[in-house]
Amino acid sequence: MLQDIKILMKSLSDIDVRIMLCKSAFEWELLAKKYNALRDEIEAFCASGLPEDVKEALEKTRAYLVEKKGELPPLDLSDFFK
Amino acid sequence: MGLIRNIRDAVKKEVKDYVLQLVESEKETEKKTEQPVSEKEQKNIEVNVEQPSQEVEETPVVKEEKTEPAKMEKVEEIREKPAKKEICPIANDLEFVRFSYKKNQDVITIPQELSELIKMLPLEEYACYMKLYCFVADQKKNYGYWGGTLKRKIGLDALSTAEFEELGNNLAAYGLMLLEKLTENQKTFVLYVPFDEDNMVKLSTAKQPAKQEKPVKKQPPKPAPKKNEPEPEEETQRAEDIPGKPVEGMENDEMYKSYKTFVSLEIDKAKMRVGRANFDKIYMEAVKYIDKKYGFKVLSDSDKFKEYLTNYYISAFDIPTFENWKKSKG
Repeated sequence: MLQDIKILMKSLSDIDVRIMLCKSAFEWELLAKKYNALRDEIEAFCASGLPEDVKEALEKTRAYLVEKKGELPPLDLSDFFK
Repeated sequence: MGLIRNIRDAVKKEVKDYVLQLVESEKETEKKTEQPVSEKEQKNIEVNVEQPSQEVEETPVVKEEKTEPAKMEKVEEIREKPAKKEICPIANDLEFVRFSYKKNQDVITIPQELSELIKMLPLEEYACYMKLYCFVADQKKNYGYWGGTLKRKIGLDALSTAEFEELGNNLAAYGLMLLEKLTENQKTFVLYVPFDEDNMVKLSTAKQPAKQEKPVKKQPPKPAPKKNEPEPEEETQRAEDIPGKPVEGMENDEMYKSYKTFVSLEIDKAKMRVGRANFDKIYMEAVKYIDKKYGFKVLSDSDKFKEYLTNYYISAFDIPTFENWKKSKG
């Protein structure tokens, strides 16, 4: 079990690194999807409850993602108004 | 041999004479050009030596002689200009459809019917039309704000505002563009581009007799709004007015489409008003707010995020809701 959660946490830190390198809304969406999938996976894995450090790590990555989305150029809404 | 020597001497003499003549003629021309200058200088010196009252008398005479013809020319020019502005439309019954392109245009093509029309335009109007044509393909919609920013974006920076306005009015007079006055200083344009169902999505139809879209509410020029947290009740009420998420049965409502266009323009207008940096900050606030209020799932869902972002802009920029907008339209 210890080994598995390490792998999941490694995937999470990979996302952290890729967030730093992310430069477009498209990349961001891919990362967000990965994060959502990974979070679901981790939550399923720790069905009895998330350990505090894992919870913190997940929140930290989420905060990175939100911050990054805000830093990217504002979303073009022209398609939306079609 | 003697004959050759004689010819050589004769040629030498001829050349020498010619060179001497040339030098003399040059000297004469130099003298001629120097003379008037020196005369002028002498006159100036004389004037300076004379009493100042004479100077005052002399100068107006000279000025009058010089300026009068120039004035006359200007008056003639001014008289001529209005005659030039009598423009006969080259197309009368064109349907002005506000549309957006479905995808980015890799190749910008001009339909045959359009090329037939625009080839009748004068050079400047033709150039302006073509620049606008390329611009609308680039921005993926055939309408927007008419003004200094557009002038800069289409590379007509060298023109003065008045000249650009005139070009716009001329294009409108030729019947290839619609200019609609929003406020005293703001205009929107709709460029005529033949509608193509395969590449374009129709948003609304602009009426040929310039129907003025009333600005519903004069917005005070305020920078990035700080208190961006609308109350939950207001939020649910506004959620019904999210452009792009029409109430059932309203999808094809012309009114709602106009409202969507209105919101789109208002957001563009607000973007210009607050400036790029402030708009980026507002966007950042919006992202944080949406994440906090609706959760990360909404933030990561592109369509939902667009809905909530539009809603946020509506609240942040005081854009009227659909109901309010409809009421103000009467």
